[in-house]
Amino acid sequence: MAGEKILVVIPAYNEEKSLRKSVEALVSILRTSDILIVNDGSLDGTQQVAASLARELPALSLLSLPINSGIGITVQTGLLYARSKGYDYVIQYDGDGQHDPVSIPAMLRKSVEEKLDLCVGSRFLKPQAGDFLSTGLRRVGIQFFSLLISSMTGIRVTDPTSGFRVYGKRAIDLFSGYYPDDYPEPEALFWCVRNGLRVGEVPARMHERAGGKSSIQFMGSIYYMIKVTVAILVEKIRSREMIKDDS
Amino acid sequence: MTAEKLMMLSGAIAFLFTLYWVRKREMLEKLAIIWIVASSFFLLLGLFPDILKIFALSARLSFSTAALFIFTGLMYIFAFFASLAYSNLYRRNQRLTQKIALLELRQNELEAKLSKKNGEGDVEPGQAPLASL
Repeated sequence: MAGEKILVVIPAYNEEKSLRKSVEALVSILRTSDILIVNDGSLDGTQQVAASLARELPALSLLSLPINSGIGITVQTGLLYARSKGYDYVIQYDGDGQHDPVSIPAMLRKSVEEKLDLCVGSRFLKPQAGDFLSTGLRRVGIQFFSLLISSMTGIRVTDPTSGFRVYGKRAIDLFSGYYPDDYPEPEALFWCVRNGLRVGEVPARMHERAGGKSSIQFMGSIYYMIKVTVAILVEKIRSREMIKDDS
Repeated sequence: MTAEKLMMLSGAIAFLFTLYWVRKREMLEKLAIIWIVASSFFLLLGLFPDILKIFALSARLSFSTAALFIFTGLMYIFAFFASLAYSNLYRRNQRLTQKIALLELRQNELEAKLSKKNGEGDVEPGQAPLASL
């Protein structure tokens, strides 16, 4: 991985309680990579925590969206930044303490060695399966999307909702132009496979949230299932051409 | 309550609602026109139900309430195009939000560089003038 320019993008919304711990864990594993926190218009002290981290760590930058815009826009803003600075790889890493940075080197290795455009950290792949596999209801949802995407693409995916990802240069470029707005992970994965991007999975360790509140509650879960299913089905009937960058 | 009275009441409520939102500046006047016309139309139908019969007769519709289906269809088309316009504005708003954030970061980086060059110490992230907007 020598010579590759790597940026870790941390989308953060109301993560004041867990952000510092997540960044410290990350820095202990990835000492030389740049970090970008994208604050999605948080209402708590996330901005202050992130600003204080940016003062302490020279490799950390803070980007603040003026209004709460959702996870899709937040991640895409990080990708736009990465594209403008010429990064080769972007690691999407949550600020809520769910993602264990110990898995990052393996994800990066696989991305580089297999020239992947998108590498997903899966909590369901053995032998390194983590100690937290999500709640029962969510696992049913994950299973459903795994089956849906696998059956429609012929590629086996085990954790399509995982936001623990490594984007290669081609994915950074393409997703800078178009990235799904809300609940983007399964749709973005499906889009990659359908448009001929190289996709892979690596076992990843995850934990329960260290703080904050999940963006998907009960009613949200129902909307999530319907919205993502419709988006994937619509994507299936779209022509397989790269979406034009409208930036 | 007769259908005419119901029509009159809903027309009046719709009319007042539209005026309320326009007055609060939460709906643009140019967009309110269609809703004012629609609510006035319902109000008129409530006051003069024969208009519907005359319209149905002149349009050779077999029964007068069929005319209402036509108006419902027109409203559907309008609402559909309003959704298209909303989607377009949403995308534009996204882009603007992202551009603001990226420019603000760039401004912070440049200010920090400039301060270092002038020996004024670091500018705190997020403390640049744009952040206060």
